[in-house]
Amino acid sequence: MQKWWTIMLFVMAFPCIYLCMNRVFHATVMCITMNVAIMLIFLYAPTEKMQGIVQKIFYFHVSSAITMFFAFFLVCVASIMYLWKNSDWWDTIALSAAEIGVVFCTLVLITGPLWARPIWGTWWSWDPTLTLTLVLWLIYVAYLMLRIETYDPKRARFAAILGIIGFVDVPLIRWSVEKWRTLHPKPVLIQEGGTTGLTSAMLLTFLVCLVAFLLLFFYLLRERMSVVQSRHALEVLRHDIDELCVG
Amino acid sequence: MKNFWYLFAAYSIIWTALCVYMIRLSQKNKELQVELRNLRAQLERILTK
Repeated sequence: MQKWWTIMLFVMAFPCIYLCMNRVFHATVMCITMNVAIMLIFLYAPTEKMQGIVQKIFYFHVSSAITMFFAFFLVCVASIMYLWKNSDWWDTIALSAAEIGVVFCTLVLITGPLWARPIWGTWWSWDPTLTLTLVLWLIYVAYLMLRIETYDPKRARFAAILGIIGFVDVPLIRWSVEKWRTLHPKPVLIQEGGTTGLTSAMLLTFLVCLVAFLLLFFYLLRERMSVVQSRHALEVLRHDIDELCVG
Repeated sequence: MKNFWYLFAAYSIIWTALCVYMIRLSQKNKELQVELRNLRAQLERILTK
């Protein structure tokens, strides 16, 4: 349980770091961390005896999955705040995090079958974990389709409700990994009783990967929010010019 | 080195997808900034007339 809290605190510290960093510094730190992560994966982390080299997909597959869960958690929180405060800023966060969450979810859905084929002997199985992850991807793709291009408060409110309801799928995925008997392996990072199934070298490599992916997530979030804000400013400016021309 | 190609494919796809997404975002950002600058200049011209 203590390990869970350590990881939660570790993840929650990132928004603070994000606020303190400027764009160039953030990008530099992210690139360095990503390079260190790749070096650790291929030069430091031991090769797993049963699965062989293909097990190294684990580092990016699980990091992508945790980043995806965090992105959708942010969509849920920002959507609640948007419905409560009716502030465009929260809506911008929700929309940006949803798009990045879909990108990471797509990576999870691609790297999963590439890992599964040599280990399970099949690309895909309709077991609860995999199916629920696909459903999660479809929910947030629907969210993005609701929000195509122009800003419409009515669509934004509908999307916010979908963003909140869609997040219900996330604990279901976690629960399915732990409790259902499926092809998907049980959690190795944190097992029952708070122990880990990874060696110390594997755990260190994984944590560096996770930091790199979270830094990448916040970098992408910053860029995507800037696009949404610029688009909104353009719409306002165009409206002002039209009014002046008509006047 | 059994199953190396699966590992290679997974990492290639991840890096290609992330690079394409980052470049697309950065280009979109630049285009929008140029468009914003042009519109602001246009608005200024209208206001000074």
